[in-house]
Amino acid sequence: MALLNRDDWYDIARDVDWSFSYVDRDEAFPEAWVGANGIPPEAWEDWEEPFRVSYRDYVKVQREKETGVGAIRDAMIRADLYAHLDPGHRASSHLHMGTTCMVEQMAVTMQSRFCRFAPSPKWRSLGVFGMLDEIRHAQLDLRFSHDLLKDEPRFDWCQKAFHTNEWGVIAVRNFFDDVMLNAGCIEAALATSLTVEHGFTNMQFVALASDAMEAGDINFSNLLSSIQTDEARHAQVGFPTLDVVIKHDPARAQRIIDVAFWRAFRLFQTLTGTAMDYYTPVEKRKMSFKEFMLEWIVKHHERILRDYGLKLPWYWDKFLLALDHGHHALHIGTWFWRPTLFWKPNGGISPAERRWLNEKYPSWDDSWGVLWDQIIENIRAGRMDKTLPETLPALCNLTQLPLGSAIDRHHLGKQQVEYEGRVYHFDSDVSRWVFELDPARYAGHMNVVDRFIAGQIQPMNLEGGLNWMGLTPDVMGDDAYDYRWARDEAEQPLQAAE
Amino acid sequence: MAQAAGNRRERRRKTWSSLGDLGRKPTEYEVVTHGMNHTAGETPLEMGPDVHGNVWLKKYRDDIALKVDNWDEFRDPDQLTYGKYVRLQDEQEAYVDNLLEEYTERRPSDETLSSAALACLGSCLTPGRYLVHGQQMMAAYIQQIAASSYVANGASFQAADQLRRVQRIAYRTKQLDLAHPTHGFGSNERGIWESDPLWQPMREATERLLVTFAWDEALIATNLVVKPICDDIFLRQFARVARSLDAGLDALIADNLYRDTERHQRFATAACRHAIAADRANRDVIWGHVEAWQEAGEAIVVAGAKLVAQHADGMVAGEVEAELRSAWQQLQRDAGLTHDA
Ligand SMILES: [Fe+2]
Ligand SMILES: [Fe+2]
Repeated sequence: MALLNRDDWYDIARDVDWSFSYVDRDEAFPEAWVGANGIPPEAWEDWEEPFRVSYRDYVKVQREKETGVGAIRDAMIRADLYAHLDPGHRASSHLHMGTTCMVEQMAVTMQSRFCRFAPSPKWRSLGVFGMLDEIRHAQLDLRFSHDLLKDEPRFDWCQKAFHTNEWGVIAVRNFFDDVMLNAGCIEAALATSLTVEHGFTNMQFVALASDAMEAGDINFSNLLSSIQTDEARHAQVGFPTLDVVIKHDPARAQRIIDVAFWRAFRLFQTLTGTAMDYYTPVEKRKMSFKEFMLEWIVKHHERILRDYGLKLPWYWDKFLLALDHGHHALHIGTWFWRPTLFWKPNGGISPAERRWLNEKYPSWDDSWGVLWDQIIENIRAGRMDKTLPETLPALCNLTQLPLGSAIDRHHLGKQQVEYEGRVYHFDSDVSRWVFELDPARYAGHMNVVDRFIAGQIQPMNLEGGLNWMGLTPDVMGDDAYDYRWARDEAEQPLQAAE
Repeated sequence: MAQAAGNRRERRRKTWSSLGDLGRKPTEYEVVTHGMNHTAGETPLEMGPDVHGNVWLKKYRDDIALKVDNWDEFRDPDQLTYGKYVRLQDEQEAYVDNLLEEYTERRPSDETLSSAALACLGSCLTPGRYLVHGQQMMAAYIQQIAASSYVANGASFQAADQLRRVQRIAYRTKQLDLAHPTHGFGSNERGIWESDPLWQPMREATERLLVTFAWDEALIATNLVVKPICDDIFLRQFARVARSLDAGLDALIADNLYRDTERHQRFATAACRHAIAADRANRDVIWGHVEAWQEAGEAIVVAGAKLVAQHADGMVAGEVEAELRSAWQQLQRDAGLTHDA
């Protein structure tokens, strides 16, 4: 008799479904959580694990990973490097921790949903590892941020952000509450695992880790790389799910993926586009956000659609246009509304940075430079009040992002829909299309401006808004370099302040 | 510059603002667990109040009889973090690996199992993977609508432990099948689980748990009734029988797996005590759920005692029943449910 290999016993371990006779199986697996939408139960017998792992190997390998990350953490705490990091890079890390950590914890619950309600016992079992992975990711972020609280109060937002009403956080929360926590298993797997995790965050973590390494933030870089190794594994559960859905309901697969791609892209522009093209010091930038998107995200997405016989989304031309502009719009918007942020954005429009932007985006000066010229003029003239907002921006009822932030000033147009007596506004016709596909899902939500108008935010001014968003003076956003990029007329790339 | 450094020192944070003033350094466990449920507000998800997820959370998490407004003050007695969990379980799994090596390679024992031992393993061990998968689904459910991350994370680890057990059962099932290919190991279990009269109380309770969606009842019925009794039967009592039949390997593995069960019980009883401390009225709520599942638990006790005792000479079902009942009552006392209170 010999010891066994995993594959010797694996089939038995995943053969754990049975025929119910004491209760109605449909009640135990409610449609709203499964989300099969008419795909018959037998169809899920075709669902095959995209990777196999035993519990025994999992705890062994993950224990080693934890030891590795822990060793670097200890060394880095002793080295006390944080104060020496570039302010732009620091802003990226605050932004990342504030907007990602809770999403990791939400992913625990999404995976747990798979463990309970997925239509295949193989998937329910595999979900356990995803669930554990996501606890790891949340806890790594929390520990990293907690270690740095002594240096930087903004890391408090790693734990706090999702308990506030900060508008950017609301945008992230709204999307992930929808596709992770409200969605049934099938939609969650296609929208979140396949489109967001496998399509976007997987590569984003690779890029961010390499930027962090460039910036000398070894601890952050190492944490991201270690998380990515888990992510690359568990994000694959989207594929067998897509296999089954394609066979039975390809139109639905197309719809779920098209919606998720657009919504994930808009958030990605907000969080990653700004960090890549503006916060990262110009001499450290390897690729523009657009180049990164085309090389790593778009190619990958096109390949998946092709491999599965799906079409490019109908909005592909609009997407490509938005790729040229949306994150520039979001950058100027977030920078202008900087008191509403919990991180310090880098304006980043010095002559050298400007040259870089125009080289990467030939129409940048025409679309965006003219607006920044105004801001720079005001800064130089000491008219700071003119560079700051007095009100809140109008927001999209789908993405929760500012109207006008998907495109540049030459392409603006009103997008609105009346549904059951209420008028909804959108940042683009794509967002409007998403809303109209399933208005009941989105219509009951009030965005920040809706709540403002309804009198839920008092006093009804910017002050009241900031207070409602939980922004305290110690974290409230201001320019990362104290406006040096605007005052400095020399043709030198900016150096870290101090 | 000096000014700035001074300011920075002044407002240096020692821990999360949301932890408030603990009056002590937070533990590592608290640092990585605290306040990580963002859905505690009036409308749980950042969507319209009428979407499915919000209706579900309202109904099954917020509008339940158990009222606890300070779940974020609950602490897992084992203070499990991810790092601690994988370290702990890697050690336990290494121990089981050693047992397997010992009994498979150094002194092979499956080949010499008696027919009584094989009958016992085929009826009490290998069909268990269905039951334990059911327990796994329940732990995952308890995680996903828990009001606090302190509770949710503990339930996640419990769900993972259940998968551990399913996979160890599968491992042994395959080894037994290889050693005794005509005994139906790996193929008879589903029939036993679905039709053997002595397994039906367990299956019935499992299926009923899977339609129990109110969070309090799901937790109490799973962790204070069905699971502890089943674990007692299929790990503790089973180990006694297996040992008496010279199935030492399976007895030792069961002993080890029972350590997970004890941890789940520490967690669940601590949660009950926390709820009762938060509001005395919760004691009656918990009692109510235990009582509603009393009959199901009692049926499992009777069938389970018979199931294991039939394989061992000198083991009397009535005595096993008494032991199961007394352990179950002790668990209720540990949970703060004294009868005279
Ligand atoms: Fe993750
Ligand atoms: Fe993930």
